[in-house]
Amino acid sequence: MTAKHWSILGVVVAGLAAGLWIDDTRVTQADPVRNGEPHEEDAGGHAHVPAPLPYADAHVPIGVWTDPKMIARGKEIYTTTCAVCHGDAGDGKGPAGVVLPLKPSDFRDKAGVAEMRDNYWFWRVSEGGTVDPFKSKGSAMPPWKADLSVEDRWAVMAYQHTFSGHNGPHVPWEHPESVAVGRDIFKMACVGCHGVEGKGDGSVGATLSPRRSPQPRDLTTRDFKFRSTPSGQLPTTADLDRTLTEGVRAAGGPLTLGLRGYRIMPSFRHMPEEQRLELIEYVKTLNKGFWERGDVKVVEIPTPPPMTAERVARGKKLYADAECLACHGETGRGDGPSAPTLKDSRDLPIAAPDLRHPQRFKNGDRPEDIYRTLVTGLAGTPMPSYGDALEPDQTWDLVYYVLSLSRDGGRAAGAGR
Amino acid sequence: MIRLLSVLVVAAWLVGAAGADEAPISGPVKAVDPAAQTLTIETTAKGKARQVVVHLKPGAKVVRFARATEPGKTGFVEQTVALGDVKPGWIVSVATKHEGDKEVADLVKVVLER
Repeated sequence: MTAKHWSILGVVVAGLAAGLWIDDTRVTQADPVRNGEPHEEDAGGHAHVPAPLPYADAHVPIGVWTDPKMIARGKEIYTTTCAVCHGDAGDGKGPAGVVLPLKPSDFRDKAGVAEMRDNYWFWRVSEGGTVDPFKSKGSAMPPWKADLSVEDRWAVMAYQHTFSGHNGPHVPWEHPESVAVGRDIFKMACVGCHGVEGKGDGSVGATLSPRRSPQPRDLTTRDFKFRSTPSGQLPTTADLDRTLTEGVRAAGGPLTLGLRGYRIMPSFRHMPEEQRLELIEYVKTLNKGFWERGDVKVVEIPTPPPMTAERVARGKKLYADAECLACHGETGRGDGPSAPTLKDSRDLPIAAPDLRHPQRFKNGDRPEDIYRTLVTGLAGTPMPSYGDALEPDQTWDLVYYVLSLSRDGGRAAGAGR
Repeated sequence: MIRLLSVLVVAAWLVGAAGADEAPISGPVKAVDPAAQTLTIETTAKGKARQVVVHLKPGAKVVRFARATEPGKTGFVEQTVALGDVKPGWIVSVATKHEGDKEVADLVKVVLER
């Protein structure tokens, strides 16, 4: 090649580079009003983010996905409301969708659909592009929660799901890839105590408190201590997030003397919320009950009333009448006559918490935390639910009496955990 | 040879210059001004919501999509809508071009009427 040829080639390359530079500049200049920057939705996919807490428990009943009636109902809705963007074939190429900056999902994309959890899907249909991260990307997807009932939204999801070619229910144990992120976090952060299968049999856990309670939770059973749901029910995702965020403190008492006041389960507050939610989504897959329970009801906690001497006095009487002192003792030291005989659901000795140290309460020390503990009880422990036995006002009386037992007489109540 | 290469260089320049002038935007209609032939759309780009006034070119169309009603036909058919019939709250998509300091378009697609 001669010097002349090299010069010509140089001019061509320079010209192409200049052309591409202008192209890039124009795109940047157009950006203030365009929302079509490259994103994964361009390929018909979706943003892989966990559903936020208000939607995290919105699991679709398992039978919906394969129910011919629901699918037929969903097809009717889809045809009239979704197909204009998502296409009759579910390919995201409806006539109104082809020019959208954020491409409508392609439901034929098996891998994309498999990774999309049901609660995420329900959130997406309900809120459309009115919420982030979709809003920031310029999604034109309308929110359907005001137009479609919950069952209608399930139906349309069931029909959309048929485009993927998957014939079974759209649940995580059919699509393990949908909880892969959470599973990885679980392997790194939780296996030591909760075990590989989440049965609470990790190698480290047992050494924290040998042959006695508390032991790491068996996440495959229904016994979740810290819940806002009524006795006997599984916790909400928000409950699991609270436990994960706050950790669990040892309650003290003779059996956990060396641990009292310290967290036997660490706080994962430092973990980004998105990762915590991914982890919880995986933890929930260890128990299919989260998909079988239907509506999730939570215990209502009224606004805490002021703490008064009268209320504390009434609480003291209730403390005796409700036989709290049998376990917690007359002064709340955890030395009641029944205390030495207490066992948990694994038949392991368990200490009655010393109520003089609310900061060690596993389920939180704010008045509303103690209220929740009294109403829901602590599953798997001898602490019963008083939800049916006490009126809300009586429960507050008892809450404030318990707080009055602490060394500062409950004055610190409400200061947080 | 040089002439051919010059043409290629100019072509590459023009392709780059012309390539990305269209910008798709979408969102709810905030205002319609049939007299001025403008449509104000609320749209979000890079996390920032803003209102864009889109100027319709002479002869521009606003279309909606309806199910084909002719026997044997499936899918959607385009129906032209007068700009004055577009209501605030409708969701539209439109590919705009910069012309001077304006965003102009010759086709507006109605995504949802509500």
